[in-house]
Parts: sequence; C-alpha cells; structure tokens
Amino acid sequence: MSKRIGFVEPPAPIHIELDGEVVEAYEGESVAALLVLHRDGMSRRDRDGDARGLWCNMGTCSECFVRLLEHGRSRRVRACLLEATDGMRIATGSHTQDD
Amino acid sequence: MKKIARRSVEHWTNSDVFLSDIDFLVIGGGLVGAASAWHLASAGTKVWLCEQASPGHGASGQNAGSLHFQIERRFLEREDGVGREGEQTAQLSRLAVQDWRDLERQIGRNLGVHMEGGLMVAHSAQEVRLLETKAAREQAMGLAVETIDRAQVQALAPYLSPDILAANFMADEGHADARIIAPAFADAAQSAGARLLDATRVASLQKRGALFEARLEKGEEIQTVTAAKVLICAGIWSPQIAAMAGLHLPLFPAPLTMNATARTAAFLPYLIQHVGRRLSIKQTAAGNLLIGGGWPSRLHRTGSGFDFSRAPALVPQSLTGNLQTAVETMPVIGEHELLRSWTGITAVTQDQLPVAGEFPSLPGLFCAAGGSAFTLGPTFARLVADQMLERRRDEADALLSVASPARFESLNGFMGR
Amino acid sequence: MTDNAETSYDVLIVGGGPAGQAAALELAAVGARCAVIDEQARPGGQILRQPPVSFAAQNWVDENSYRPLRQQLRVFENQAAIAWLGRRSVIGLQPGPQGHSLTTSGADGLQELSAAHVLIAAGCYDMPYPAPGWTLPGAMGAGAMQTLLKAQGIVTGEPIVFAGTHPLMLLIAAQISRAGGKVAEVAFDRSLATIGKSMIRHCATALRNGSLLGEAGKAMMDLRRAGVPVRFGRPLQEITGADRVTGAVFGEADHPETTPCGSIGLCYGFLPQSDLPRQAGLSVRWSSPSGGWATCHDQWMQSSVEGVWVAGETTGVAGAPIARDEGRIAGLGIAAALGLITNRDATRRAAPFRQSRKAAMRFAAMLDDIAAPKQALDRVAASNTTICRCEKVSASAVRETLGSTTDVNAVKRITRCGMGLCQGRNCEHMLIRMSAAAEGRGLETMKGFTGRFPARPVSIADLLEKPLP
Repeated sequence: MSKRIGFVEPPAPIHIELDGEVVEAYEGESVAALLVLHRDGMSRRDRDGDARGLWCNMGTCSECFVRLLEHGRSRRVRACLLEATDGMRIATGSHTQDD
Repeated sequence: MKKIARRSVEHWTNSDVFLSDIDFLVIGGGLVGAASAWHLASAGTKVWLCEQASPGHGASGQNAGSLHFQIERRFLEREDGVGREGEQTAQLSRLAVQDWRDLERQIGRNLGVHMEGGLMVAHSAQEVRLLETKAAREQAMGLAVETIDRAQVQALAPYLSPDILAANFMADEGHADARIIAPAFADAAQSAGARLLDATRVASLQKRGALFEARLEKGEEIQTVTAAKVLICAGIWSPQIAAMAGLHLPLFPAPLTMNATARTAAFLPYLIQHVGRRLSIKQTAAGNLLIGGGWPSRLHRTGSGFDFSRAPALVPQSLTGNLQTAVETMPVIGEHELLRSWTGITAVTQDQLPVAGEFPSLPGLFCAAGGSAFTLGPTFARLVADQMLERRRDEADALLSVASPARFESLNGFMGR
Repeated sequence: MTDNAETSYDVLIVGGGPAGQAAALELAAVGARCAVIDEQARPGGQILRQPPVSFAAQNWVDENSYRPLRQQLRVFENQAAIAWLGRRSVIGLQPGPQGHSLTTSGADGLQELSAAHVLIAAGCYDMPYPAPGWTLPGAMGAGAMQTLLKAQGIVTGEPIVFAGTHPLMLLIAAQISRAGGKVAEVAFDRSLATIGKSMIRHCATALRNGSLLGEAGKAMMDLRRAGVPVRFGRPLQEITGADRVTGAVFGEADHPETTPCGSIGLCYGFLPQSDLPRQAGLSVRWSSPSGGWATCHDQWMQSSVEGVWVAGETTGVAGAPIARDEGRIAGLGIAAALGLITNRDATRRAAPFRQSRKAAMRFAAMLDDIAAPKQALDRVAASNTTICRCEKVSASAVRETLGSTTDVNAVKRITRCGMGLCQGRNCEHMLIRMSAAAEGRGLETMKGFTGRFPARPVSIADLLEKPLP
C-alpha cells in the first residue's frame, strides 16, 4: 500500500471527484499523487485492457494523461502536472476512450 | 548474359539489353519506385531499386495517405476548369480505384487500405454550386459521385459541422497507410527477385550506346552498373537525376504541412475534403486523426537554392489555418490534442499534372513523379512498368498520354547530349 | 522572482532548476530582463522539487549535499527582477534572425514569448528501462518515487524494490526509508567487483570527491540499519503482477528469485530532455554511456544556433553542481552578448566556474562508468519486452524490422515505435541502440527521430484560441 507520510503539514482537506468517486485531497497536491494513493498509480487501461500506471512523475512520459472535466469541456492533461482544487472532476483513462 | 534463361517477357526484345548488367534500374524507393520494381521483377526481369535513404523515406511516407478520386480543389481553381486533361485524369482515377481495391491481395501484404467513401464538403452557397457542377462533370466521366444535402450529410456523418450545406460523396474514396506502403512494396519487390540498394545515391547517369550507365554510391562503396532502361521516380530529387542524363524535368518543390492528433476511438470511416478550402481529414487504423490538405511550409535555403535534405520549417499560419479549417468542418477536432505537425516536400509541375512515361528524346529513360503519386501511384507504377516491358504498350501509352514527359520536349529540344 | 505577464524579454530561460536559476541570477545581477519558464508551479527543478506552498513542509531535503542548491533557490526566489512563468510547458521554439520565439502551453491556453536570447536548461529524465512488466502500475522511474516523496509526501506501494545500475538509487532508497517508507531491497545489476574496477579506474577522482562518496556510504549504512538488503550482481529479470506490481524477479532464468513488492523504482541512468533543441535544429550528439541526445555548445554554452544557449543536463547528464556552473557560464556569456558586461569581465568571472565544472566532470565520468547500463539494455534488446509503451511495440517486433532497414525513422514508420503520446521520449534510446547494434555501427554515428512541433501534446482548441503569430 502507498501512504502519506508525516514530514509535510498539509492544510485542511478538500475533495475531488475521481471517476465519480469522491476522494479527500489537499489543495495543490498533484492528481498523480492521488492516483498513487487511490489507484496504486494506475492511470488507464490500454487498448488490450491492460492496467497502466504513471512512470516519470515529471511531465515527460505521457503515461498519466487523464481527463479534466470543467466548463463543459473535457481536456486531456498530465495528472503529474495537475494540482488538485476543491470540486475538481477527473476521469482516468480506464474506459479505453483514449487508447 | 547469365540471366537470359530467366527472361520470360516475349515482347521484351531489345537485343542490346543482353549486354547490360541488369534490365532495369529504378531510382527512388517511394511508392511508385517500389511498386514498379515489384511489377518489373514479377515479370522475371533483373531489377535494381536504388533508394538514397530507406523505402518511403520521402513524400511517399510523409503524405497523409488520402485516396482521393474526386476532382481536386486545385483543378477547380484553374480557369480552364476540367477539360480533356481532367477527363484523362478521371480515367486514371477509375483505374486507380480498381488497383487499390485489389493491391493488398495482389502483393499479399497489409497496406492499411481503407475505402469506405469520401465527402467533399461545402460551407457556402457558392461552394454548393461548385459541387453540383463538379459532380455533373464527374458523372459524365464515369466517376460515381453524388451530391447530398445538409440533412443527408448529418445522417451520414453527424460529427460534421451543421454549417456544412452539402457534400459530394464518392463511395470509392478512402485512405491507405503511407507509413508502411513503400516498405511493403519494396519487400514484395525483393521477394519477386528485385535487389534493393538502400542508403545509395546515384552519382551519375548517362546513356552509353544503347545502355544506361549509372554510378551508385553507398558511403565509401562505389559501383557502376549498366541497365537497358531506367525509371526515375525520385520525387523532388527527380530533376537532379534527369539532369545527370542531360534532360530537363521541370518539377517544383511544394513543401507541405501535415498534422496528427493523439489516438482516439474509431468514429470516422470517411475521407473528408473541402471543395473551397485546403483540407483533408481521415482517421488511421491506429486511431490518430490526420489533418492536411496542402498547407505550405517553408523550404530551407542554401547559397544556391533550396535545401531538400532538411525537413521544411513549420509555418505557424499554416498550422493554425489548417486546424481552424478542420475544426470549422468537424468541431469535435477541437477536443483532441495535436500530437505532431510535420512537413514534407512533394513535387509539382507548372500545369499541376503528373509526369509518367518515357522521354521521347532519350528512349529507355522513363519517369514517374510530380503530384498525385500516392492516389495514382500504384497505377502509374503498373502502366510505366508495362511501357518498360513493352507489354500492352499502346494501351499504357494512351492511358498515360496526359502525363507524358513529351510535353517537355520543347525544353529538351534545346539540350544537346 | 515575480509573476509577470510580459511577452518579450532580453532572455528567456527554459527550466527553473539549478542551471536555469544560476543563469537567471547572473543575468538579473547585470540588469537583463529575463523570465524563467517551467512546467512546475515552483522553481527547483527535479532535484529540488518543492511541495505546494500550502504544505509547509518540515525538514524538506535536508541532506548536506542539497545545501548549496537550497541556498541558490532561496536567493532566486527572493530576486524580484526575475519573472517566473511556472505551470507552463514550452511546446515550440522557432529561432529567427531577429530573435527567437517560444510557444508555451498552460491551463489558460497558449502564449507566445520572444527574446533575443533563449537558454535551454530543461534537465533530464529517468531512462525508461524496459524490463518485462514495466508497464504495470507501480513500476516507475526511481526519480518519480523520489519526487513523489519530496514534493507530495507520498510513499508508493510498499514494500519498495529498487533495481538498476545507477548509485543514485541508494540515496533515494535511504531517503524513503528515513521518511518511514518500507524498502524491500536495492538490487544493483552489476557486480561489486565490476563497480570496484570502475572506481579504481577513477581512484584519484574518488579520493577527491570523498564527501559525495560518503553520501552514498551513509545511505548504505542507513539502509543496513533499517534492515534493507543492498545486493550486487543481481540483474532484474521481470516485474510481475496482474493489475499492479506484486514482485520483482531476479537471478538467472533457471534459478529465479522473487522479491515481493508493491512498487518498483528503476534506476539505470538519465537522458537529457532534447525535444526543443532538436525541434529548433540545434546540433546534438549521442550522449554516452547512458544515452539520449546532448546538445553541442561552445565554451560559452552557446549552441550551433546564434542566440540559443544550453546549460545543465541538456548538454549531457552530469549532475547539479555542473548544471549550476554551466548556468553561470551561460548567464555570463549571454550578458556579454547583450553588451551588459565586457567579454573580459565575463572571462574573468567565469574562470572559477569553469574550474569547478572541470573538476566535477571527472566525478560525473566516474559515475557514468559505474552506472553504465549497456549490459542491462542489451538484455532487454534481446527480449520480447514492450519498448514503446504508448504504441505497445515489442523489442522483438523492432528486431524483425531491423532485418530490412536500420534507419530509425523508417523503423518508426513501419512499427509505430515512437509514434505515440510520449513522442518517442520513452523508446527512442532503445531503438537507436538496437539499430546501431544491428548495423554494427557506433552509437555516435546514429541519427535519431526528427524533432517536431509540439514538444508536448497540446489541445487543438487551445492552439486556435490563441493562434501562433
């Protein structure tokens, strides 16, 4: 299991929606970190149905693309560069839509 | 000569050839060159296919792979519209439809051929009139093109913009996979006995007696070969090769831009084009949307001319112009990501018609280049191979008359050799 | 540094790590108007990847070796004359005779920036090492684990295995262990004897850099104290699991040994970020022994294109101290080119940085030698592992195609290896190695993929909302 560790003092929690499930997060925390905590790092299933996870956590490998749903728009963004904000809605690529 | 026993083409009777090292030298390993080499080798002749990089390295592998048989926007722009040349091109298009439908079976390899139809769309009333005129001409030429109205467009392709007023639909259009097609033909050619010389440049080409002598360079290795006949199909490099033989082949570089989106689930079975704007859209088997249509890029220059060895520079206005046109035609494209914009150089003639056939002033030297060489490429390859093999020659000559390099005789008449 | 909305500067610096900061500080000190662009919200680069401001982190990267870098970061953050353009990806660089233009992409769409001089200090990334099973959730670059810890306070699935050739994994494992994470094993691909030979080859350097080696020694001791085995001569054979990582298999095929784990960090070296240099047509060279494309430069860190400069890992992965020296040298070079200081001044002030860079280069060469990944990569090249993650192209599919052509762009077209969302960053290095081997050519003679716009995938709607000029 992954876990948060105690050397940071995070602020009061916020909530984001991950594939329709509400999860607790902290303002500014990366969505990739939330994928690690809540999905074992899984960001999508590929076209063969295989589970895939984030690899580089620095915007380079393109493995952690998820969809950010806001303003009636669906944008594909890298989870590792996306900072959580309260009420944010995220769809991981688990639905083979993007692969 | 050793290979005489192998020779199986009855009409192939030029006695001088028995003195040559090989029967045919094909210069340029693009779609046309690789497919020609396949036809020639399949007829039992000795063929070398010479490619400066690897098969499909040039425009054949870099174009967006449209199989478009409707009259092109660029021809509609011409004042003379579509006259006799248009009809002859249409005739070639009809043959190309048949060729493409059967290619994968013939060569036993996947070419990503996908022919489920093509829509050429119109945004304005004026463009709709253009569609109607165009469809009438095409029908007269025997091309199965129909005009459909906005409701029919929406029923067929609901992802197209509701602003599209009408479209011409042709069931035979589609696309093929430009990435794999030249390598597949080169592979088939080799299986048929052709020899592929990759990373090999032609350093000189001249006629000696009845034969052609070419000097070929692969790095430090140099070899000289004599061939009975030579085919130049080297895209924008063709004029340089022709010049080695002392001939004008007036082709001009057209540096273009193409765009690919990230993969998405399959939704677009058709080739989409626009009657009034530069646009082509299709979805590859892998799922990427390819967006092109003839938007310019910028050639790098050297002290003495253009530099074809470098990929042309991207022109920002072309990139956004192309994508804007795409989104106005198919709004859903705005939701996708641009993965890659790339540039490539195609070759066009002043009259925009392709070049395919034998140079009258230098018999034995053939060329096939100058635009439409993807859609019509397999057909050019087949017909030029027929010419070179003296097989159904009259028929091939007649079909290729619109593209014959004879039209450059006025220039080549000035050239002493 | 200050947030800033200008679009034209004297100098645009890509990357807010040690190199970019150092250059910006030199330039700001002489009055140049410069902006630093970075994909991260806060400066620091990967080595000092900062947590969100709201986290109020305690004891953040407090190891001794980070001290000079932390000090520079503090000065950088307090230098008001430097514009900070965080949370932006540079997707395009078009050099021009009258100045260069950069296209950036962020949450608010695209922005065009221009400057007379551009410095690319874009850092490096974990070498994507295609071990069988490496696409499973839980398998990641060791650097990813480190940044998750440093910047997010998160430990990946426990227990954690590290496997690789690069000694940096010792430090990362120790950091995670000290922070309370459970590490199952640190497995070096090469034997201790081989590593020892490398150290002996560089013994003078090893002695001169006792403190840096001491850092590794301390990590080993900490790990031992925490009961974490550090093993040598233990090549990774496979990562196992169905939907996520559950184990790492080591040893020979007939005697496999499995270490159960919840995640695995792979550490085989680092590749320079080279998208922008290649897109802009700068001269690059193959970077040995870890691979990737290093940008060529002159003694002032200017690339083959006038007014485009490079510093840090962009010029070849050599570590943060060298990156900082190169950033300073580039900053002084640009300042002289702008006429803000004399050439003589620049030469005088750059002298100590050149000296320390030279000394540190020897240590970097020793590390390269110790961490050489060739053997580990050759093993993968002979397997049927997926090397192109995006398009799922296996090493065996690539090998098959290499029978007909060894041109990497041709192999790419035929197999789709490198055509996916990552634009080749994950697989190109493997493809080049395999192609060079197939042709019997030296890696330094190979050509790579053609660099194209955009350097990162970009929303088409964004591109049209704010079109390029």
